Amino acid sequence: MFRAALRSLRQHKLRLVLTLLAVVVGVAFVAGTYIFTDSLKQSFDALFNAPQPDVTVSVDSGFGSSAGGGNSSSGGDQATTLPASTVQSVAGVPGVAAAFGVAAADGALVIGQDGKPIGRTGPPSRGTSWIPDQVISSLRVTSGAPPVGPGQVALLEATARAANVSVGDTVTIETPGGRITPEVVGLVTRGISGSDGGTLAVFDLPTAEKYLLGKPGVTSIAVRAQPGVSQQDLAKRIEKVVPPGSRVQTGAQRSADIADRLQTAFGFINTFLLTFAFIALFVAIFLIFNTFSMLVAQRTREIALLRAVGASRGQIRRSVLAEAAVLGLIAAVLGVLGGIMVSFGLRQLLKMFGADLPAAPLVIQPRTIVVSLVIGVLVTVISAYLPSRRAARVPPVAAMRDEVGLPARDLRVRTLIGIALLALSALAAYLGLHTLDNGTNASRLIGFSALSALIAVIALSPILGKFVVGVLGFPFRRTAVGRLAIENGRRNPRRTAATASALAIGLALMSAIGVIAASTKASVAAVVDDTIGADYLVIGAKFQPFRPEVYNAVKDTPGASAVAYVRQVPISVKDKTSVLSGVQPDLFPLVVNLQMQEGSAALGLGEVIVDDRTATDLGLRVGKPIQATLVNGSTTLVVRGIYKGAGPTIGYFTSIDTLSSVGARELDSAVYVRVAKDSSPDAVKASLTSELAPYPAVVLQDQASLKDQINASFDQVFGFIYALLALAVIVAFLGIVNTLALSVFERRREVGLLRAVGTSRSQIRRMVVLEAVLISIFGAVLGICLGVAYGALLQKVLEPQGITQLAIPFGQIGWFVVLAVVGGLVAALWPAFTASRLDVLKAIASE
Amino acid sequence: MNNAAHAIALSKVYGSGDTRVTALDSVDVEIEAGQFTAIMGPSGSGKSTLMHCLAGLDSLTSGQVWIGDTELSQLTDKALTKLRRDSVGFVFQAFNLVPTLSALENITLPIDIAGRKPDQQWVDLVIDTVGLRDRLTHRPSELSGGQQQRVACARALASRPTIVFADEPTGNLDSRSGAEVLGFLRRSVDEFGQTIVMVTHDPNAASYADRVVFLADGRIVDEMHKPTAAAVLERMKAFESARG
Ligand SMILES: Nc1ncnc2c1ncn2[C@@H]1O[C@H](COP(=O)(O)OP(=O)(O)OP(=O)(O)O)[C@@H](O)[C@H]1O
Ligand SMILES: [Mg+2]
Repeated sequence: MFRAALRSLRQHKLRLVLTLLAVVVGVAFVAGTYIFTDSLKQSFDALFNAPQPDVTVSVDSGFGSSAGGGNSSSGGDQATTLPASTVQSVAGVPGVAAAFGVAAADGALVIGQDGKPIGRTGPPSRGTSWIPDQVISSLRVTSGAPPVGPGQVALLEATARAANVSVGDTVTIETPGGRITPEVVGLVTRGISGSDGGTLAVFDLPTAEKYLLGKPGVTSIAVRAQPGVSQQDLAKRIEKVVPPGSRVQTGAQRSADIADRLQTAFGFINTFLLTFAFIALFVAIFLIFNTFSMLVAQRTREIALLRAVGASRGQIRRSVLAEAAVLGLIAAVLGVLGGIMVSFGLRQLLKMFGADLPAAPLVIQPRTIVVSLVIGVLVTVISAYLPSRRAARVPPVAAMRDEVGLPARDLRVRTLIGIALLALSALAAYLGLHTLDNGTNASRLIGFSALSALIAVIALSPILGKFVVGVLGFPFRRTAVGRLAIENGRRNPRRTAATASALAIGLALMSAIGVIAASTKASVAAVVDDTIGADYLVIGAKFQPFRPEVYNAVKDTPGASAVAYVRQVPISVKDKTSVLSGVQPDLFPLVVNLQMQEGSAALGLGEVIVDDRTATDLGLRVGKPIQATLVNGSTTLVVRGIYKGAGPTIGYFTSIDTLSSVGARELDSAVYVRVAKDSSPDAVKASLTSELAPYPAVVLQDQASLKDQINASFDQVFGFIYALLALAVIVAFLGIVNTLALSVFERRREVGLLRAVGTSRSQIRRMVVLEAVLISIFGAVLGICLGVAYGALLQKVLEPQGITQLAIPFGQIGWFVVLAVVGGLVAALWPAFTASRLDVLKAIASE
Repeated sequence: MNNAAHAIALSKVYGSGDTRVTALDSVDVEIEAGQFTAIMGPSGSGKSTLMHCLAGLDSLTSGQVWIGDTELSQLTDKALTKLRRDSVGFVFQAFNLVPTLSALENITLPIDIAGRKPDQQWVDLVIDTVGLRDRLTHRPSELSGGQQQRVACARALASRPTIVFADEPTGNLDSRSGAEVLGFLRRSVDEFGQTIVMVTHDPNAASYADRVVFLADGRIVDEMHKPTAAAVLERMKAFESARG
C-alpha cells in the first residue's frame, strides 16, 4: 500500500507542491521564529565578551537607562549628571586601574549636505565622549584618529557615509549647546551594543560636556579593573564612594540588561510570527483537505478495485494517510529551509528599520527541526484524515460503476453547526460590547466571537457559495460560457467553499487590520483637530529638544496671534513615569485646548495639572500635594486641576517657572504657532520657514503633516502586518490554482466534449478564468464582510484605548476586491491554459 | 453527385518505429448528402479514426478531407472549431452531455456557444421527434442512458449541421433504447434530409443505414447498399474467416 502511495505522489508532483506551499510557509515561520530567537540568544554571548567597562557608574534618575534610545519625544533628553569630582573619587578606589568620565546625550544632529539632519526620524542622534582605553571602550577607530579638542569629531562609519564626509572634511553638527563645525578626524565602529541604528558623533570629554550636556559633569563613569579584581568586588567598593542616587553596574549586569531589553523588544516579533505561522497552517488545512478530497474522488475506481481484490478499509485509509505523511515531511523539510531564510530576512528587515542587532551566526537547534517536522506532518495528516475516511468508505462495487466520483453528502448538519456557531458568536459579541468597561474580558469575548464567526462562515460557506456564486455570476448567465463557469463553481460546493475560505481568512484579517488602521488614523486626526489649536508646530527633526533661539526667532512672527513653547522633563510620581511639560500659562491655552474636568488651569509656581487617567490611576486629587521625582531629585507639587487626556496630550503640565526652579535645562520640545484670524496662514508659514532656515535641527509642521507624521509610525507597523498577511493571501491564490488544476483534470472529458462540439480554446479559457474569479470574489466577499465587522467591533473595544473613531477604508476594501479579481485571473491562467490545450480526442477517449 | 463530406488518399499513422501503427491506409471515401452511412469493421480496423479524421477532430498524416466545400487540412484550430460548431454534429458512445447543464441547455449548447439564437421551431421539432419534451429541465444524471443518448442526438441535430457523426451511439444501450435512438436517426434522415455517419459493431444497427462501408486494417474493403441485418452479418462473418 505504501508503494502505491508513493507512486501516486510522484504522479501529481506539481499539484502537490502547490498544496504544500501553505504548509511550507507555515512551518517556515515556525522554524524561522525559533531560529531567530535562538540566534538572538546566542548573540548575547557575544555581547558578554565584547569590550566594555568592568564597572559603570551612572545617575539613577528613576527613569531607567536612556541607552535604549527610543523616542525621546516623551520627555526630552535631560542629561542627568555626576560631578566631575566623582570621577576622581572612583579612580582612587583600590582595584581601579582607570576611570573615565563619559558625557553622552541625544540631540547631536549631523547635518548632511542638503542642510538637513541625516538619518531617519526614529532612531536618536547621539553624541558621546571618547573613552581613551581600548580595553573597555566599545568604539574602535577604523581610520584616522580619536578626536582631541573642540575642533575635532569622530563619526560612526555609517554616519559618515550617510553625511557623505570622510576624514579631513568638516561637518556641521547641531548640538544642545549650539552649532559646531568640527573636522572629522576619525571613523569609528561600534562594538556590540544592541543599539538602534541612530547616528553617533564622538568628541573628547571637555567638548562633549560643553556641547552635549551644556554644563560641566559626566553622565557616566567607565571603570577598568586591575587584573585579578572581580567586577562584583570592585562594584561594591565603588558604591561606597559615589554620591547617593548613583547606579553602579558591573559589565556583566549591563550586558544582561541589554540582553533583557533586546529580548523584550523582540518578544512581540515572536508572538507575531507565530500567530502568522498559525494562520498559514490554518489556511494549509483547507488546501490540503481540498487536494486530498479531489485525489480520492479521482481515484474512486482504483480504490474500489483495490477493495474488490481484498484491501481492507484500514489499508485504504492508511495508504492515504501515508501519502499525506510523506508529503507533510517533504513540506516540513522545505519549511525548515524556508525558516532559515525567514530568520535571515527578518534580521535584514530589522536592520532596515534601524535595529542594529548583534551579528552572530544563525542557530538551528535540534528542537527547531523536530518541532517543525512534527508540525508539518501533523497538519498534513490531520487535513487528510477526512478524505482518507471517505476513501475507506468507497464500496468495492464502485469499480463496476460508470459514474466516477462519490455522491455529494448532505450539507444539512454542517449548516446547522454553522448557524449555531453564528448565534454563539453574536451572543459573545453582544456580551463583549456590553462589558466594555472591563477591557480584557471584552476583547476576549470579541476574540472568541470572531473565531466562532470564522468557523461558522466556513461551515456555512458551501451553502453560501452556491448562492453567492449564482448571484455574482448572474450578469454572465446570458452566455453559454458564463453558464458553464457558474455551474462549475456551484457543482461542488464543498470544494468551492474550502478554496474560497482559504482566501477569506487572509482577506478577513487584512480587512480587520484595515479598519483598525483607518480608525486609528481617524482617531489621531480627531485628537489633533480637537486639542491642537495651533496652526503650526515646530519640533526637533529627530524629536530632540532644541535651544530657545528657535523660539526667539519665531515668537514675533507677523500674523501669528500666539506663539508658545513647551519644555519637557521626565517625572515620576508614585513610581509611575510620565512627562512634565512646562508651559507659559498665559499663552499655552491659546495653542492647545485642554478640557478641564476639575480645578483650573491657572498654574502658579509649584502647581501642576494632570490628565484624568493618570489622576484616576494614581488617586490624585485637586488641591492635594504630590511627591514627584524630577531630574534633580524629589519635589513637592500641588495638583491644581485635572484635564481630559487626549491622544499625545497627556501627563503633567506646569508653568515654565516651576520647571526652571527645579533646574531643567533650557531646551524646548516644541513651539506652537497660532495664526491670527485676519492673517493668511500661507504668509505666516512663509515667514516661519525663512525664520527657521538657520535651524536645521527643527522642522515646521502644520496640522496635516503632524497627522502624517504620527500616522507614519502606524503605517510602518500596519505595513509589516499587511506584508505577512499578503503572503497568506498569495498562498490562498495558489490554492485556487491547485483546485482549478485538479478540477480541470477531473473534468477533462467534459472539456473534450465541449471542444468537440465547437467550443473554442479561448471560450474554454474564459470558462475556467470566470470560475476562478467567481470563487475568489466569493472568498473576498466572505473575508471582507467578516473582517470589516470584526474590525468595527474591535474598534469599539479599543475605544477606551483612544481609538475613538470608526473609519472603514472603503477605498482600500475596493482594492481588496480588485485584488481578488486580479488574483483569481492570474490563478486561473495556468489551469485555463492546460484546459484549452487538452487534446480533444484523448479527453473523449480517456476513461 | 452531392457530397456532404469526402476524403481522398486519407492516411493516418500513429507512433513511429516499432510502435508504428497505420490506422488508415490511403482511404478514399465519399459521404453522400442526405444519406445514412454506417461504417463497420472489426475492432482496431480504424473506424473511429476514420470518423475523427472526417469530422475534423484529428489531424491527417496524409491525404485530404472535405466537409461540404471546405478542405480541412489547411484549417487552423480556430477555424476547425468553428466548423465543428456550425457544420458538424456529434454523438459519442458515452459521456455525451455536460453534467452541469439541463437537457435543453445541452441540446442548444453548440448554438449557445456560437452566441446565436436557436431556431425555436426547429429545436421544438427536434425535441418532439426525440420525445423529450417532459424531460427538458432534467440534468443528465436524472436521465436514463437511452434518454441521454437521445438528448445527444437532439444536440447533434439542433444546429442543423451539414453532417452528423455518431461513434457507436447505441453501444451502451439495451436493444429497446438502442432501437429508439436508431429510429430517431433514421427519421432525421428521412424527414429532415440530415446526413449521418455512424460507426457500429452491430449488424442490426447497420441495417438502419442506407449504405454500409466495411473497413479492415485501415482500408475500405467493401460496401453495401440498402443493407439488412442478415446480409451485414453474413458479410462480417466472411471477413472474419478470410482473416482467420
Ligand atoms: N492514439 C493512438 N495512438 C496509437 N495508436 C492508436 C491510437 N488510436 C488508435 N490507434 C490504433 O489505430 C488503430 C485503429 O484504431 P481505431 O480506434 O480507429 O479502431 P476502431 O475500429 O474504432 O476499433 P474499435 O471497434 O475497437 O473501436 C488501432 O490499431 C489502434 O490501436
Ligand atoms: Mg472505435
